[in-house]
Amino acid sequence: KSKEAEIKRINKELANIRSKFKGDKALDGYSKKKYVCKLLFIFLLGHDIDFGHMEAVNLLSSNKYTEKQIGYLFISVLVNSNSELIRLINNAIKNDLASRNPTFMCLALHCIANVGSREMGEAFAADIPRILVAGDSMDSVKQSAALCLLRLYKASPDLVPMGEWTARVVHLLNDQHMGVVTAAVSLITCLCKKNPDDFKTCISLAVSRLSRIVSSASTDLQDYTYYFVPAPWLSVKLLRLLQSYPPPEDAAVKGRLVECLETVLNKAQEPPKSKKVQHSNAKNAILFETISLIIHYDSEPNLLVRACNQLGQFLQHRETNLRYLALESMCTLASSEFSHEAVKTHIDTVINALKTERDVSVRQRAADLLYAMCDRSNAKQIVSEMLRYLETADYAIREEIVLKVAILAEKYAVDYSWYVDTILNLIRIAGDYVSEEVWYRVLQIVTNRDDVQGYAAKTVFEALQAPACHENMVKVGGYILGEFGNLIAGDPRSSPPVQFSLLHSKFHLCSVATRALLLSTYIKFINLFPETKATIQGVLRAGSQLRNADVELQQRAVEYLTLSSVASTDVLATVLEEMPPFPERESSILAKLKRKKGPGAASALDDGRRDPSSNDINGGVEPTPSTVSTPSPSADLLGLRAAPPPAAPPASAGAGNLLVDVFDGPAAQPSLGPTPEEAFLSELEPPAPESPMALLADPVPAAEPGADWHPGHPAPLPLPPRFVCKNNGVLFENQLLQIGVKSEFRQNLGRMYLFYGNKTSVQFQNFSPTVVHPGDLQTHILSGLGQPPTKRVAAQVDGGAQVQQVLNIECLRDFLTPPLLSVRFRYGGAPQALTLKLPVTINKFFQPTEMAAQDFFQRWKQLSLPQQEAQKIFKANHPMDAEVTKAKLLGFGSALLDNVDPNPENFVGAGIIQTKALQVGCLLRLEPNAQAQMYRLTLRTSKEPVSRHLCELLAQQF
Amino acid sequence: MIKAILIFNNHGKPRLSKFYQPYSEDTQQQIIRETFHLVSKRDENVCNFLEGGLLIGGSDNKLIYRHYATLYFVFCVDSSESELGILDLIQVFVETLDKCFENVCELDLIFHVDKVHNILAEMVMGGMVLETNMNEIVTQIDAQNKLEKSEVRMENAIIKEGSQHDDNLRMICSFHCLSFSITL
Repeated sequence: KSKEAEIKRINKELANIRSKFKGDKALDGYSKKKYVCKLLFIFLLGHDIDFGHMEAVNLLSSNKYTEKQIGYLFISVLVNSNSELIRLINNAIKNDLASRNPTFMCLALHCIANVGSREMGEAFAADIPRILVAGDSMDSVKQSAALCLLRLYKASPDLVPMGEWTARVVHLLNDQHMGVVTAAVSLITCLCKKNPDDFKTCISLAVSRLSRIVSSASTDLQDYTYYFVPAPWLSVKLLRLLQSYPPPEDAAVKGRLVECLETVLNKAQEPPKSKKVQHSNAKNAILFETISLIIHYDSEPNLLVRACNQLGQFLQHRETNLRYLALESMCTLASSEFSHEAVKTHIDTVINALKTERDVSVRQRAADLLYAMCDRSNAKQIVSEMLRYLETADYAIREEIVLKVAILAEKYAVDYSWYVDTILNLIRIAGDYVSEEVWYRVLQIVTNRDDVQGYAAKTVFEALQAPACHENMVKVGGYILGEFGNLIAGDPRSSPPVQFSLLHSKFHLCSVATRALLLSTYIKFINLFPETKATIQGVLRAGSQLRNADVELQQRAVEYLTLSSVASTDVLATVLEEMPPFPERESSILAKLKRKKGPGAASALDDGRRDPSSNDINGGVEPTPSTVSTPSPSADLLGLRAAPPPAAPPASAGAGNLLVDVFDGPAAQPSLGPTPEEAFLSELEPPAPESPMALLADPVPAAEPGADWHPGHPAPLPLPPRFVCKNNGVLFENQLLQIGVKSEFRQNLGRMYLFYGNKTSVQFQNFSPTVVHPGDLQTHILSGLGQPPTKRVAAQVDGGAQVQQVLNIECLRDFLTPPLLSVRFRYGGAPQALTLKLPVTINKFFQPTEMAAQDFFQRWKQLSLPQQEAQKIFKANHPMDAEVTKAKLLGFGSALLDNVDPNPENFVGAGIIQTKALQVGCLLRLEPNAQAQMYRLTLRTSKEPVSRHLCELLAQQF
Repeated sequence: MIKAILIFNNHGKPRLSKFYQPYSEDTQQQIIRETFHLVSKRDENVCNFLEGGLLIGGSDNKLIYRHYATLYFVFCVDSSESELGILDLIQVFVETLDKCFENVCELDLIFHVDKVHNILAEMVMGGMVLETNMNEIVTQIDAQNKLEKSEVRMENAIIKEGSQHDDNLRMICSFHCLSFSITL
């Protein structure tokens, strides 16, 4: 029959029923029942029922059981929370509860439990505990009252008053009637979550009850024996209740419980008493709950190992349900330190499950378990298996697998070339499911780790040679070659023109976003490889770019073309400088996985990893030596959201003006939360021209209240050495707070932006960062939340929010100790204080000086007094790479002079330290000895303390 | 806690729905459709558990189901329930239906909507398991039936009205009745 016919038939029937209800003739009980049942059925089929409610209320007020029952049924199926009606119903319920007729009382209790609205709670929450513990209540009434109370408590906990009845509820655990006990256990399990101490006595009662059931013969409990298993539901509920508490303190109780648990484990090995699946189901329900309790206690290594072995057996069981549950339980077991190793022994079985299970639910559990059992020892195997699985995985779970693989690859990467390979494989296999977070992340890591950049460039170059490659691969390739293409340009097979034509061959197949990214790559190429300039300008000039229908592409083409023809090489080099490292934060991938799985799902994975060896890898990028460019030692994973924006490259005022003329764009107001791509692009935006005079004109504010340095402060944290050569990065990070810094210096002036990120979800109160300068450095603060810079940092920082503070710095004379930043705030009532050194060192005021060899030697000789020279010979702490060294020396602030030292391996630099009082000329020479892995560093300046200080600062860097 | 109990046939026609959390009527229908969609595409002999659909609350919830001949019995539960325990509960439910209707079939669920609800109410209340002992449940239902019969008899004594069987319902929906046997 067609859909229309059905609807027609039903409308006719509804009209009929309505007329019957409205009719003058009184309906007899049977007809009323008949019509109400029809309405229920019509409702079930998905049609709206907009009448009958009043009839139902009349029915349930009747004295006849038949009518009352059908009335209650109608209400509990059809009424959600129609408040008008509920008032009427409540009246009838009140009468039934007071009727002392157990059948009527049960009907009323059922109705309350099924509707469970707040109004009903208000009306009955006080009565039900009384009914529950009354001595004369029938068992069935007690049972219903317990669950009714539970429902009301869940709906509105504030309405259920705790009182002397709680103690008596606990004693229901000793009740004769098993149904009452089952209902009471459910109630207590819920109530004790809020008030564990009030219900503590339930532990010993629950244990003794459990022990009686477990040790009883299967026939003792008669009706509550289900397929030869005594009271399986009650056992399961009791075991659940015990999971609300830590292991019993009383030794006797604990002993008895452990005995129970062992008995259950032993019974699992006995031959089944029946071949029926119901028998094994019931038995295993208890067994799995027992294992959950053992995992929850996490304190009995012996039991944990037995549990693990039992689950291991189930992994190979022919019942799919058991394999599913075993995989699921093992997931939680993997996070226990006692059993993590034992779980790992099943890796082959689990991998096999991933490959051969027919059921997607089971495969999913297997993938979860592999993720949970992964640690550094098996990461490579697991990641490669998951990659293989990805090729055949169900579409629904591919994205999740991609995220998991990306997280594992990063977390357990010992060498980052493996990480890069893995992510590129991900893109190759499941490019469509690789979300932005994943490919952003690989770019962040490559940018932050100079040891992998060359490899990454080489690998993406090779990957791009595939005739068809995923667009995400083009994005990653474009970005990496734009940044680090120079590292492979030496090889004729990947010479600049080859790189360019390879990328450009993909250009036309890509979406607008990708093309925009590629255009940025091209302009970066012009800087990296001047020889490609003509070709690229040709491409930019083509009508398809300059007059592209897409505004973004058109604008980029026009701007890049003009930039490449107007700007000098120096300006290009500055504007198109390599990206600064990203500040470290929590991985956005992990955050995404958490969002996907909902709370709880990922937490097991977060805190699940307890083996100490993983901490340092969590600490991310520290284990390999050359990490000078990697900002933070603390967080393993980057976040994009609140990260300080990458610095607009400090350009000279002149260049700034020029650029503004060229672009007429908005001043580079760094936006919060740049993605790498945005950052990549915003780097190209012009810096706002800044007059040095403006900095000088800042008034000196009166002494800040609380700015005094007093002994109550914690000792200042040492300045991470990388900040000597870097101006940007994460200065500090703990669980609560992240402080990012971004600074620029010119002559004897500096401006520093401090970004305070609240990592919690709770507001910080009385937030006050102040700067103290114990030395001769005069720092004055202009602090502000964004612009204009006259406001102070707000006293409150909301959870997840970030506030910015601007410091203007002027160097009056040379100094040794950096100024201190003292941050105080209240987090959840507890005062927090920390003090750290600001990354302001004397070398920040370096003005590079170019000079010819002749001049250099002349000056070198002039500074020949012994106290003017400081020299240090030291062992290399990081691999000796000429490019890295060069970058560091430039970051240090001096100019690098080529063709001065007769030995090309050596580095020679010169510069002037600018202070307000005086200028200090500095010359430096760094002689690496690759064989001995040693350096000799010599500094000559006109001031003795400056020589020594610079020498010390610089020596830490290698 | 049990969020919902759904019974539908192999074509996705609902035969019983009981929600223990308030959902709008539209959402209820959508949940039934979504659940049918998730469950019906699964092979026989795979496991009886799967992650819940989005409407019912996403992957924090599990669908635990059994398929008997023409009918699917699906319980949607949160993480506080034991999967195997619920699987057994479904079995108890079906066995009880079988006892009360003597070889229960899909038609019984249609013509005795009230009875099925009453049986369920004896087992599950407000989303929590109330009673699992089949004999106890059957006893309660028998007592109800007796009470009903005595009232009907009294009524019939007063009004002599032949209660002819109503066959309107039979026409409301088309179905083919297949008795579904229970594997005991």
